[in-house]
Amino acid sequence: MSFLQSIKNSVRSKSIHVSYVNVGSCNGCDIEVLAMLAPRYDIEQYGIYVHNNPREADVLLVTGAFTPQWEDKLKSIWDKIPEPKVAIAIGNCPISGCVFNRRGSYVDPPVAKHIPIAAEVPGCPPRPTEILNAVLSLAPLVFKDYEEKQS
Amino acid sequence: MKKTVDVSLPIGPLHPCFKEPARIRCETKGERVISAEMDLGYVKKGIERIMRGRPWQEVMFLAERICGICSVIHNMVCIETLEKISGVEVPERAAYLRVIVNELDRIQSHILANFSYCYTIEHETLAMYLLNLRETAMDMLELITGARVTCAYMVPGGVRFDLRDEDRITLEAALDHMDHELRRYVGMFEHGPLVAQRSKGVGIISREDVIEAHGVGPVARASGIPESDRRCEHPTYQKLGFTPLSYEEGDNYARVMIRFDEVFQSIDLIRRCLANMVPGTIRGGGAIKAGEATHAGEAPRGELTYYVKTDEYGRIVDITVRTPSIMNIESCAHYMLEGVSSAADVTSTFISADPCIACTER
Repeated sequence: MSFLQSIKNSVRSKSIHVSYVNVGSCNGCDIEVLAMLAPRYDIEQYGIYVHNNPREADVLLVTGAFTPQWEDKLKSIWDKIPEPKVAIAIGNCPISGCVFNRRGSYVDPPVAKHIPIAAEVPGCPPRPTEILNAVLSLAPLVFKDYEEKQS
Repeated sequence: MKKTVDVSLPIGPLHPCFKEPARIRCETKGERVISAEMDLGYVKKGIERIMRGRPWQEVMFLAERICGICSVIHNMVCIETLEKISGVEVPERAAYLRVIVNELDRIQSHILANFSYCYTIEHETLAMYLLNLRETAMDMLELITGARVTCAYMVPGGVRFDLRDEDRITLEAALDHMDHELRRYVGMFEHGPLVAQRSKGVGIISREDVIEAHGVGPVARASGIPESDRRCEHPTYQKLGFTPLSYEEGDNYARVMIRFDEVFQSIDLIRRCLANMVPGTIRGGGAIKAGEATHAGEAPRGELTYYVKTDEYGRIVDITVRTPSIMNIESCAHYMLEGVSSAADVTSTFISADPCIACTER
């Protein structure tokens, strides 16, 4: 491992910037993502920061069952995130559509059809600790030695 | 006449301040907003369309997934409409338990709305204090109902679980803790000079304009319409001696303060429920019959109306939901945002109306 890579590894392990996007959820999962900000869970001790700005994000949390409005927009949000990046599906909706995936509804799940999803957190809605656990367990897998894995 | 517009300023759909996607199109002159329009439709799922033709046992779970913040009131109004159609009576203890859970839901929703407002005016300390306090209310919801958000606690003819005596002691202790802590935070909000500068006199909507825009909930009560509270017509609330609160100013400060006051009121209502409750059955019987009814209840954001038509097998033939946020969004876009003096106040005024986009679009 090069010296530069080891510096990048140590910096990235304590600086995970999170952005979230609601593509047609009922708000429940968004609120659990927001509840994750509470001092009780203390996400900043793990170096996680929630900004909700795709241009400075590393991790994109996707909630919701994908409504037609997001057909082009979700892809463009995904393209705005700088490499290395990862998307996590939060809740049952982006995985399967949950209760909304019925005949006659407008949703088009799963979200994995539209952007690459690296991890899924099932639940309706999942607890904040489960979301936190998913971010924490996925981030080192993706961000460690990223440049060396690319070459 | 030629309109002078300097900048057309779009805000959203993805914005750091918004919990949900919505777009505000502002026409500004310098930084002063001349007019604003809302673009909605980012989370339209067609829930009412899926509900039709399904048995009420499925519709009940779909109804509480209309909105994740105020899921309890959607459950409550849906079930009360079905009870109204079928003439099902609720045992007394179950009626009090419904009020307790509903008020806990209102507490967490109001604290979340005020958290968002404090976060938007960048008073992050107060915002984090409030968000931490909200977790106490969520714990109590989980203690009573078994789930944090989508709890499906109410069923026709009663509620699912009883409140055990040891849980009642925990609930009382949590209420004392919330009451004590929130008084401190409200003091910080009331007496903070910078909070006052960002909030007082910003986004004013007068009593006449609220009536014109059909504003409901805390937005209407902050402009001096206490009778807009639908809890006045609920029999259990009448038994508890509920009187609505109101403010006269109609600015952002009044809208945040009315929510703080309603949290104290809700804590008081829960205490009165616990004092009045006697042991008894929590779940009576009853079958859903054919018929149609309209029923309204007070969601944390305002009046929520359900129109339901059922057939003799308990299937939903027709259902229409009217949620409060659409009127508040309209009154926000067309009255509050007009003449707001900076682009930073646009987001804070919008958040002070507490819009719930998932409710609005369903």
